[in-house]
Amino acid sequence: MKKLAYLALLLLISFTLAACNREDTGDRTVIEFWHVSPVGSDSYSGMRRIIRDFNESQDDYFVRGTGINFWDYWDKINIAIASNTAPDIGYHTLDNVIFRAGNNALYNISDLIREDIENGVDTIDVSVFSENQLEFATYDDDLYALPFSATVRMMFYNLDLFAEAGLTEDDVPTTWSELYEVAKQLDDVSGNTINVLGFDPSFGEGTYHQYLWTAGLDFFDEDLNPTLNTDRHLEILEWMYDFNKEYPRSVLDAFGEANQMLGINPFAAGRVAMMVANDGLYETLRPLEGQLNYGVAPIPVPDEDGVRVNWGSGFSIEMYNKNNPERREATWAFLKYLMDHDKQIELSDTLGWLMSNIPAMEEYAEGNPILEAFVNELEYAVDKVYVPYAPNWHAVDWVQFFEQGQSSALTPEQVLQQARNLYIQKRENYEAAN
Amino acid sequence: MAKRKKLTLSALKKQERVLGFVFASPWLLGLIIFGAFPILASLYLSFTRYQMVGLPTWIGLANYRSLLFNDSIFWTSLWNTFYHVFLSVPLGLFVGICLALLLNSRIRGISIYRTLFYLPNVVSIVAMSFLWLWLFQPHFGLINQVLRPVYDFFNMEPLGWYRDSSLSKMTIILMGLWTAGGSMIIYLAQMQDIPRDYYEASEIDGANSFQQIIKITLPLMTPSIFFNFIMGIIAGFQVFAVAYIMTQGGPGRSTYYYGYYLFDKMINDNNMGQASAMAWILLIITLIITLLALKLNKYVFYLGEQD
Repeated sequence: MKKLAYLALLLLISFTLAACNREDTGDRTVIEFWHVSPVGSDSYSGMRRIIRDFNESQDDYFVRGTGINFWDYWDKINIAIASNTAPDIGYHTLDNVIFRAGNNALYNISDLIREDIENGVDTIDVSVFSENQLEFATYDDDLYALPFSATVRMMFYNLDLFAEAGLTEDDVPTTWSELYEVAKQLDDVSGNTINVLGFDPSFGEGTYHQYLWTAGLDFFDEDLNPTLNTDRHLEILEWMYDFNKEYPRSVLDAFGEANQMLGINPFAAGRVAMMVANDGLYETLRPLEGQLNYGVAPIPVPDEDGVRVNWGSGFSIEMYNKNNPERREATWAFLKYLMDHDKQIELSDTLGWLMSNIPAMEEYAEGNPILEAFVNELEYAVDKVYVPYAPNWHAVDWVQFFEQGQSSALTPEQVLQQARNLYIQKRENYEAAN
Repeated sequence: MAKRKKLTLSALKKQERVLGFVFASPWLLGLIIFGAFPILASLYLSFTRYQMVGLPTWIGLANYRSLLFNDSIFWTSLWNTFYHVFLSVPLGLFVGICLALLLNSRIRGISIYRTLFYLPNVVSIVAMSFLWLWLFQPHFGLINQVLRPVYDFFNMEPLGWYRDSSLSKMTIILMGLWTAGGSMIIYLAQMQDIPRDYYEASEIDGANSFQQIIKITLPLMTPSIFFNFIMGIIAGFQVFAVAYIMTQGGPGRSTYYYGYYLFDKMINDNNMGQASAMAWILLIITLIITLLALKLNKYVFYLGEQD
């Protein structure tokens, strides 16, 4: 028995030590790549294969990948950048590249492209990315990151529910008045219970700033002063609040909370007939293929002077400044490999994201009407502006006021006034410290 | 044969002192590296503009000035935190003492009851928050279902609990009472230290159970009550995780506690300088309140001091 225990212990130690074993990298330059495909995730094996293929494709560099859970990744990378322990290459959010570039945390990508051109080496063709995304990766006229993924928001519509209401795909709304008319035909309410809601502007990824953009407005002016104080801002907020005003707030809350508590997507569950969401919902709906008949369309715009636009957030891919020429060279080689046309298709398939390389995504989406619609909408995607004094202006700063307006704790005028005051206060405090 | 060196008393003492430091060095190093250094670093950062990338820049008292004189959310979060401390601490003490009194009896299976009441303290705060999120859910939660006859009787709308800005802080406080079993264990330990003679003497004098609790048990429990009171104040000022998970500071910033705002300053606003200043302001507030609370020490009766 004792011998058996010793044997088991020996095996356990052997396995543990074997697991700790790292690949023999020889004289290669080793770099770290952080990604969001940890062991156990759906994309783990795909990402592992992509990294392995690079390591096997040449003898000079070796990439060591570290997969981190998506929700933990952002805090980890921020702390790592702050403590100078960032990987050589990793993802971040595209809308605040300027913040890290301005603090010398990133390598200048434009310099690397120029060096390649001077040396007659193949380099990255930046014309494959959207102009808007490139602008967000630019600081002081140079690129400091590259767009990696390209999120697009569109309106999903449930054709089965359309059919039940006697509507067809031709009835998919394009303007706000059409949206209201169609939504009300899709509402299915019995007593105090909503069975199906046609549409609610705040459901899914419907945000106030996105609706402002469709009306040619924004939260901030060109000098980043908060606006929010025009009649049109108020009208749009009231439009959001009043869209389903015929139902008491408690009934709407109960409907929204039921979805939340059950952890179901209200569109996937057939409880909301039309909903603004990003391409991630397409991934969610993939397993329901054949069971749910749906389509996607551009987000409806105001009847007058409406602007076709959607909130196109995305991730960047960045080379963190390690002041090490060898690692810089190795990281650049790996970045070029990742941004290659075919690799972008492979990455899209692995991660379930739309990638930033538009021609690659056009090829990937061919024959898939939903994906094709998303790729076509890429040119109308705009990211939210980075406001140094209120980096989270669209989330924590705004949402608390917006929700108070929803629950009628504040009037729409108060919501806008108080939010504006907060931004002004934040700006004053930021300027006092700078 | 080598001549053996003669050790004097002072040399021996010195040797012992050195050895003492050597043996204590792992702890001392830990204290300096992981305790003192971050504390002093945060003090320095509180006088700087530091966005977590790049280098900190000295700006003097600007962070403190902004927070104290031009930041409405700072005062909202401070008020929310004071509300939480001033209600949760006394309520926690009351429930803990009541539980201890109930579980200080000699009935069959008492250790099982004690374990059951202590059990919530070993549940992760995330699991606990989600559990209570379900229970307090205004439309589908068990609590409102149980209270439905009461609502019907008084012809009132069901309570919104954490969804109602006037009730949300109270909901979190009520939820916190679930873990009163932690302080109960300390009260119980002290109760069982009270000599039986006192109760026997009071019985002979004709005291009833209630009088025994008021005149004997509670006065002799004051050291543990005082301990839990001080610890409760300190923990109360640090409230964060429950609000982060359950309410995200809402509705309408009604559960936006000081710790939550500090977290947002650092993580969402990249403003480590102001976050550090907030930490130091909180330290000073906690210190003042704790010092005031320590004045109550004169009412604490320590059994060992009676002679």
